[in-house]
Amino acid sequence: MIQQIIEGPLWYLSLAVFCIGVVWRLGSIIFASRKQDLSAPRGSAAPGAIRTVFSRFLPHREIASQITLPVVAGYMFHLGLFALLFFAAPHVIFIEEHLLGIGWTPMPHWAFIVAAQFAFFGLIVLWLRRMVSPVGRLISTLDDHVSAILTFVVMLTGCFALLEGSTGLRLLHRFTVELWLIYFPFSALMHTFTFVPSRAFTGAWFGRRGIDA
Amino acid sequence: MNHRYPRSRNTRSVLLSLLLTLAFGLQLSTAGASNLPPEKPKLPDGVSIVSPGSELWREVRRRDGVPEYDEVNQGLLVNDLLREIKRSQQMPQGVSQVNQVDAGKLINAQGRRWAEFRMGMLATYSGIGLAAIFVIVTLFYVIRGSVPIEGGLSGNVVKRFTDYERIVHWTLAIVFLFLAITGLILLLGRPLLIPLFGKEFFGVLASASKEGHNLFGPLFLVSLIMMLISFGRRNIYEKGDLTWLLKGGGLIGKGHVSGGFFNMGEKTWYWMVILIGLVIAVSGLILVSPNFGQSRVIMELMHLVHAASAMVLIVVSVGHMYLGSIGSEGAFEGMKTGYVDINWADAHHDRWGKRCHEEDKIISAEEYARLQGQVPQTTATEQAK
Repeated sequence: MIQQIIEGPLWYLSLAVFCIGVVWRLGSIIFASRKQDLSAPRGSAAPGAIRTVFSRFLPHREIASQITLPVVAGYMFHLGLFALLFFAAPHVIFIEEHLLGIGWTPMPHWAFIVAAQFAFFGLIVLWLRRMVSPVGRLISTLDDHVSAILTFVVMLTGCFALLEGSTGLRLLHRFTVELWLIYFPFSALMHTFTFVPSRAFTGAWFGRRGIDA
Repeated sequence: MNHRYPRSRNTRSVLLSLLLTLAFGLQLSTAGASNLPPEKPKLPDGVSIVSPGSELWREVRRRDGVPEYDEVNQGLLVNDLLREIKRSQQMPQGVSQVNQVDAGKLINAQGRRWAEFRMGMLATYSGIGLAAIFVIVTLFYVIRGSVPIEGGLSGNVVKRFTDYERIVHWTLAIVFLFLAITGLILLLGRPLLIPLFGKEFFGVLASASKEGHNLFGPLFLVSLIMMLISFGRRNIYEKGDLTWLLKGGGLIGKGHVSGGFFNMGEKTWYWMVILIGLVIAVSGLILVSPNFGQSRVIMELMHLVHAASAMVLIVVSVGHMYLGSIGSEGAFEGMKTGYVDINWADAHHDRWGKRCHEEDKIISAEEYARLQGQVPQTTATEQAK
């Protein structure tokens, strides 16, 4: 019964909420009305947008030494999670069988494990920094904590189900993934899709005003 | 003289003989039935042989007249070779085409000894140790209570740990606790959890714990190295530490005990974490990577070293958690906020506290509130006006 719900209605519901929610959120951002910039342009917006999208991947030189740990942990977590999500063998099979109908070569098991360790370590360090640093605490909301903890739980249940020998553990992982998908569009997790347009918007604004930042 | 038994007597003798023969035959058939091999398991459709290898082996044994089941050992498969192994407790080396360590060994005679030790002494003493430390800590708290700060909290603080140091500490703590819980489930789960939740639930829990334990293990080593780099220099023993030890760290008896930035107890705990932690990490890596040529005996030895040293660390960590939280007033603030009350520093780490006074590192309560992002009450009132 529980298995049928998790693999059936709840799965389709979570997928629908995720897809519609993400499109709705992105649409509301892209098509939001803004005040027209009447100032005379001092530079071009497009190069500024492209430059900012890529330049933000590295920290500013002035503060780089002070934020080494979160930067390293951030890369560990995001790259690890990306590798896990799209190149772990069970996920590739799932995507092929349930989502796209096509698959690709998954990464070897040892790389799967290393990616998971990178992701776990990065996430723990990032969340601790949020808790430990006074500035991190001030700018963190409940949503940030829920997002981090929910992502951790999803990864943890996935780790528990690594052996792929227990239906119960597999269902537990799938259930947490479904909760995560439902929470995604309404939370800070949306930065997965918004970070590029957000950087581009800021970069375009700077570029138009001739600001080199 | 030809003596002839009367007819009736002959009949009685024949009947008695028949009865005795029947009884004997029945007894033999019963005894024979108990010596027969157990009934073969029912095979699934389309499968004719459970295990071709063992069936072939059984046929060879029957042909050679080797007794298939041992009456003494109640059904255990025995032959001369197995008896010899059991008697000598050695592993005879054979020849195999499989190119792996231990491939030529039919039976690991040490395996049973390891299994008995793991399920017996190791699990029992680990459980006792764990229960004992909780009892000791509870009793200590009931009798002694939280150790208060002389003069109470002043409100003025000094910075004790940076954000980075606290992140390192809590990362190690989270990883250690996760590994401790999953490790204890694997070590003590069978006797403790199966009676409570049943075998099926425990099977799933043990599988999950094992996967989680193996995955988080290397993170413990990374955290340990970060801990060594961050805190190592300040934990080198120095003059005065022995005095702290001789006075029981101030918990036993009365009177002030002098201490530096870290006292003797903290330093000893630190080096325990580093050294025993390294033993745990290395033995764990040997266990989790069985494809580097290590034999079964080495794996069994590493398992015992891994479990025993982890238990020592888990038991002592309960004491550390107690003293770092409810056991000592103001101690937890150091790892929570990075700042400690100056009176706490003077009471527990007087040599460091003295340096803080001399170097004017004391931060007022108002400044501390501002650093923590809390607006002082007076300022808030003024703003409201």
